[in-house]
Amino acid sequence: MGRTLWPLFVVVGLLRSLALPGAPSPVTGAIRGRVDVRAAAAPPEGRPDPGGLGMAAPREPLDRRRSVVYLETAPRAAFEVNEERRVRMTQQHERFVPHVLAIVAGTWVDFPNNDRTYHNVFSLSKAKDFNLGRYAAGKSKAVRFERPGIVRVFCDIHSHMSAFILVFAHRYFAVTDDEGRYRLDGIPPGSYTVLVWNETVRGDPPRRTVTIGESGGDVDADFSIR
Amino acid sequence: MCMWRRLTALLIVICAPAAARAQRLPEGPLTAARGTVTVGGDITVTAGSRDDIAFFNYTDYEHNALRMVRLSLSGMWRPATRLAFLTELRSEDAQRVIPYALYVRVRPWSARAFDIQAGRVPPVFGAFARRSYGADNPLIGYPLAYQYLTSIRPDAVPFTADDLLAMRARGWRANYPVGVTAPGPGVPLVSAYRWDTGVQARATSARVEGAIAVTMGTLSNPRVDDDNRGRQVSGRVAWKPVVGLVLGASASRGQFLTATLENGLAALTTRQVHAQRALGLDAEYSRDYWIVRGEVIDSRWNLPDLSAPHIDAPLGARSAFVETRYRFTPRLFAAARADRLTFSSIRGQRLFAGQPTPWDAPVTRVEAGGGIYLQRNLTLRAVVQRNWRDAGRVKNRTFVSGQLSYWF
Repeated sequence: MGRTLWPLFVVVGLLRSLALPGAPSPVTGAIRGRVDVRAAAAPPEGRPDPGGLGMAAPREPLDRRRSVVYLETAPRAAFEVNEERRVRMTQQHERFVPHVLAIVAGTWVDFPNNDRTYHNVFSLSKAKDFNLGRYAAGKSKAVRFERPGIVRVFCDIHSHMSAFILVFAHRYFAVTDDEGRYRLDGIPPGSYTVLVWNETVRGDPPRRTVTIGESGGDVDADFSIR
Repeated sequence: MCMWRRLTALLIVICAPAAARAQRLPEGPLTAARGTVTVGGDITVTAGSRDDIAFFNYTDYEHNALRMVRLSLSGMWRPATRLAFLTELRSEDAQRVIPYALYVRVRPWSARAFDIQAGRVPPVFGAFARRSYGADNPLIGYPLAYQYLTSIRPDAVPFTADDLLAMRARGWRANYPVGVTAPGPGVPLVSAYRWDTGVQARATSARVEGAIAVTMGTLSNPRVDDDNRGRQVSGRVAWKPVVGLVLGASASRGQFLTATLENGLAALTTRQVHAQRALGLDAEYSRDYWIVRGEVIDSRWNLPDLSAPHIDAPLGARSAFVETRYRFTPRLFAAARADRLTFSSIRGQRLFAGQPTPWDAPVTRVEAGGGIYLQRNLTLRAVVQRNWRDAGRVKNRTFVSGQLSYWF
C-alpha cells in the first residue's frame, strides 16, 4: 500500500507547503475597528453573605466592556500553529486577571495564586472541564486547552470570581483594548465574517462581512453593543 | 398537595422575572442599583425516607432535615462602603416565610477590620451554623449538635430526675409537669435553624479573628423577642496559622428558661440562674481536593432542683463530629461524617433502679454519600445515614435521602 500511495503523499505535501506560514505571502490585509460596549463597569457579583460576621473587602470593578473580535472562518494557514504557547491568568485580589483571555487551541494557561488565601480554579464547560483543587499563595497550576470553545472559569471558594477563556482553532482573533479598539493582522485577500463576543451579549453575537481586497490594506469594522 | 401548589407558585415568583429577562435561570446573584443591591437564592429539594417514628432528623416537631423543601432568598443592600443591610428569608416545606437573618452591618473605621452587626444575626459560636447555604453542607443531614432534639425545653422542666429520665429519646415531643405541660419539641445543643437577635462585633487580622455577641436567647433557643430578660454572651476566637487551616474556640453563656417559668419556679427553688453554658472547639483543614472539618461542643444547662430524686448538677451534653469531602473530578465528589452525642448521668429512683444513667439517650450517626455538579450552581447528591440510639421505640435506623440544590 505504501508503494502505490507514496506519490499522492508527495503531491499533498507540496500543496500544504504552499500554505505554510513560512511560505511567502504576496499580499495580506488587516481588519481594525472599535467595539463600543455600553455595559457599565460594576463590582463583581458576590452572593449576599448573611452568614458573615463582617464586611467583605472592597472589590475592584469588573470591566465587562472587554470583547473578543474574531473571524468566523479563517484562511487555511491560520490553522498551522506549531509552537507551544503559554499564557497566564492570575488570581489576584479575588479576581482573575485578565477577566477575558483569548487563546489558540493547544495553549497552556498558568493559573498562579497571588493572593494570601486559597483559591480553587475550576470549570465545568464543555470545551474543557477541570478542577485544580485548592492551592496557596505563590503556587501555580496549568491547564492545556485543546478544544475550541468558550470556557467559563470559576473559583470554588469565592463565588464572585469568574473569567472567560475563548479557545480558537485559528489565530485570527483579538481582545479589545481599554478603548475598545482591536486589530486583526495578516489576513489574506478574501471575504470574511467578523464576529464579536462580549459577556453581556445574549444570543447571536454581532457580525459583519468584511472584504480584504486583492491589494490588501486595512479595512475598518466598528461594532456597537447595547 | 396544597404544599406542592404553594411551592410551585413560589418557584414561579422567584424564577419568572429573571427568566423572562434572560430567558434562563440566573447563574449568579441578581444585582440592581449599580451593584449596591444583590439578591441571591437557594432552592433545595430533599426527598428521603420518613422519620416519623424515630425522629432522628427532626429539626422541630414538623420538619425533617432529610425530607424537606427549603427555599431561601438572601439580599444585601450596601448603600455605602461601610454600611450594609442583610436579610435572608426562608421557607421550609412551603410553609410560612421566616426572616432567618435581618440585620445591619457597620464598619465604623474604614482603616480597621472591625465590624458591628445588629439585628437577627448569625451565631458567632462554632462554625457549622454560619454555613447558611445548602451547598456549603457537604452532606444532606446536619451534625447532631446542631439539629438533634434533646429532651430539654426552655418552657417546661422536670420535677424530679425520674421525670427527665422518662423523656430519654423523646426530644421531639417531651413533656414535663412544671411549666408548659403540653408536649413539645426539645432543643438541640446549638440551633442551626434559627438565629438569635442582638449585637455582635468582630475584629480580624490576617491570622486571627475574634467575635463577640450579646443576644436575647441562647444557643439552644435563639430568640427574636426576649422571653426572660436575660442576655447571652457568646464569643469565638479563630486562628489561621497557615493557609487552609482554621482553628477556633468558642464559649457562650445565657439564661435559658423563660421568664414565665422562672416566675413560677420562684416559690419552689432558691436557685435563680438557670443558664446554658457551652464551650466549643472547631477546626477546618483543606488542601487540593480535600476538606476536613471537625467540632467538639460541650453544653451544660442548669435546671431547677425541685424534688427528690434530685437533678443537683448541671445537665451536660457533649458532641463531636468530623466530616470530609473529596472531589474526584470537576463534577463528582464524595463526603462522609461521623458524629456522636453523649449526655451526663443522673440518678433516678423509679427508673433504672437508681443507677447513674445518661439523662438522654446517647446517639451515634454516620452519614456518607456523594454528589454531582450538574452545573456550577446545580448539585444532585445522595446519602445514606445510619443512626444508633441507646433508648427509644426505635433504637437504630438507616435513612436514604437525595437532594437537588440550586443557588444563584
